[in-house]
Amino acid sequence: MSNLYERLGGENAVNAAVELFYRKVLADGRIARFFDGVDMDQQIAKQKSFLTMAFGGPNNYTGADMRNAHKRLVAKGLNDSHVDAVIENLNYTLRDLGVPEKEVKEVAAIANSVRDDVLNR
Amino acid sequence: MLKFEDRSVELRLGETVLEALERAGIDAPSSCRSGNCQTCLHRAVEGVPPPESQVGLTEGQKALGFFLPCVCLPASPLTITRPDDVGARRDAVIRAIEPLAPDVIRLRVDADDFAYRPGQFLELVADGDLRRHYSLASHPEDDPFLEMHIRLYENGRMSRRLGEFKPGDRLHVAGPSGTCFYEGVHEEQRLLLIGAGTGLAPLYGVLRDALKRGHLGPIRLYHGARSRDGLYLDEELKALSRTRAHVDYRPCLLDPNAPAGGDVAATALHAEQNVKDSAIFLCGGENLVKRLKRDFFMRGASMKDIRSDAFTPQG
Ligand SMILES: Cc1cc2nc3c(=O)[nH]c(=O)nc-3n(C[C@H](O)[C@H](O)[C@H](O)COP(=O)(O)OP(=O)(O)OC[C@H]3O[C@@H](n4cnc5c(N)ncnc54)[C@H](O)[C@@H]3O)c2cc1C
Ligand code: HEM
Ligand code: FES
Repeated sequence: MSNLYERLGGENAVNAAVELFYRKVLADGRIARFFDGVDMDQQIAKQKSFLTMAFGGPNNYTGADMRNAHKRLVAKGLNDSHVDAVIENLNYTLRDLGVPEKEVKEVAAIANSVRDDVLNR
Repeated sequence: MLKFEDRSVELRLGETVLEALERAGIDAPSSCRSGNCQTCLHRAVEGVPPPESQVGLTEGQKALGFFLPCVCLPASPLTITRPDDVGARRDAVIRAIEPLAPDVIRLRVDADDFAYRPGQFLELVADGDLRRHYSLASHPEDDPFLEMHIRLYENGRMSRRLGEFKPGDRLHVAGPSGTCFYEGVHEEQRLLLIGAGTGLAPLYGVLRDALKRGHLGPIRLYHGARSRDGLYLDEELKALSRTRAHVDYRPCLLDPNAPAGGDVAATALHAEQNVKDSAIFLCGGENLVKRLKRDFFMRGASMKDIRSDAFTPQG
């Protein structure tokens, strides 16, 4: 069996998901404010990095990178409830795209696995 | 094989451009190192970067040679610069400087070998160190000069200086920069151009370029201003929309009594409910650009179809 990223459709799957996901995030009052500061074009590229990572695709992020990327947000109050909200939006996005429940769960598990780094604890 | 600005950089077999830059001690930012986050963005000013190092960039960026060094294994020689490098300053001579409205001037300067796409912006330099960005309304194939539309602020440093200039005076220009130009648009796609004040300058450049390239789809141009004078190309644009059936010009005078705010952003958002397949260009003040970008994206426009330039007060 091929790996998760390939089963989801690789780069094409990321491209199909990225704008859907970002619209959901911006519309979600619980987390939208964390995405305010950065230019939207740049933000789309960051979301691609996030999705590639969560889909189990090729990336070279370390735990330290995840700590650094979110340090500024933790200072603004980022906590477990926000990580839950992001994963929830990720689940909805994948279901909208017709991804089977088994893969949805695998993606959520990968995102969840970096929770402590994202929250800098 | 690989040059960073005017410096030769050793590129080992199988090494990415990012790795080579780092090994040479050049300060090059990076994050994902897998071609997604765009943190490492650079630009090739000579040579053609391989297509796989341009995945995810806009058509405008690709046309200008931007690429991602972390996934770039060059097949041919490249000379690269940082993404915000505007290159050498060039001499420019003022050809004409005339009012378009009480607080807007049209500046035309002559500069040799200044290649650009209409809608891009340049850096205008006066007195050696006073630098501000201005967008280009001229067309390189039709106009022998560079044309800018500049709003004069009462206490603005460049504004004041421009008030003193006359034809024959010397300036410098650098650039061009920016990706708000006619690229990656299908000829039958609907074009939506929205700007306020001198935000019209780049849109006018884009409009002319679109027509010159035979754009077939409907074109709608909104121009917002606080007073009738501020609609400074009103006559010309009305005449154009009479002779070109697919061009629809919509002047928007600020109406403070209108329920939704009465500015051009509110007017356009009200009228443009379906933007999914439009190529969108947004130019003018930061608030206008941010609001329209976000709202059109939320309505289904793809980010790759939204090009914009925000005229930030930092210039
Ligand atoms: C990418 C880009 C493209 C641009 N293109 C154009 C263009 O085509 N035409 C054009 O007229 N301008 C354009 N600008 C804006 C321009 O670069 C200068 O910011 C503007 O001309 C003011 O410069 P100044 O030296 O006269 O004023 P400054 O001395 O820099 O500012 C003095 C005061 O003027 C006021 N002010 C200045 N700019 C603004 C503003 N944008 N909004 C609100 N208040 C302001 C503020 O109160 C400020 O404190 C562009 C800016 C950018 C970033
Ligand atoms: C659930 C686990 C998460 C993962 C795996 C993750 C992953 C990532 C990645 C890979 C980046 C790009 C870093 C870079 O290259 O610069 C990033 C950036 C970002 N993330 Fe997360 N993220 C997570 C949770 C969150 C949460 C909960 C929020 C806020 C609600 C958030 C908001 C952001 C923002 C705003 C950026 C851009 C930061 C910047 O550019 O300054 N992330 N994330
Ligand atoms: S470092 Fe992320 S795209 Fe190059």
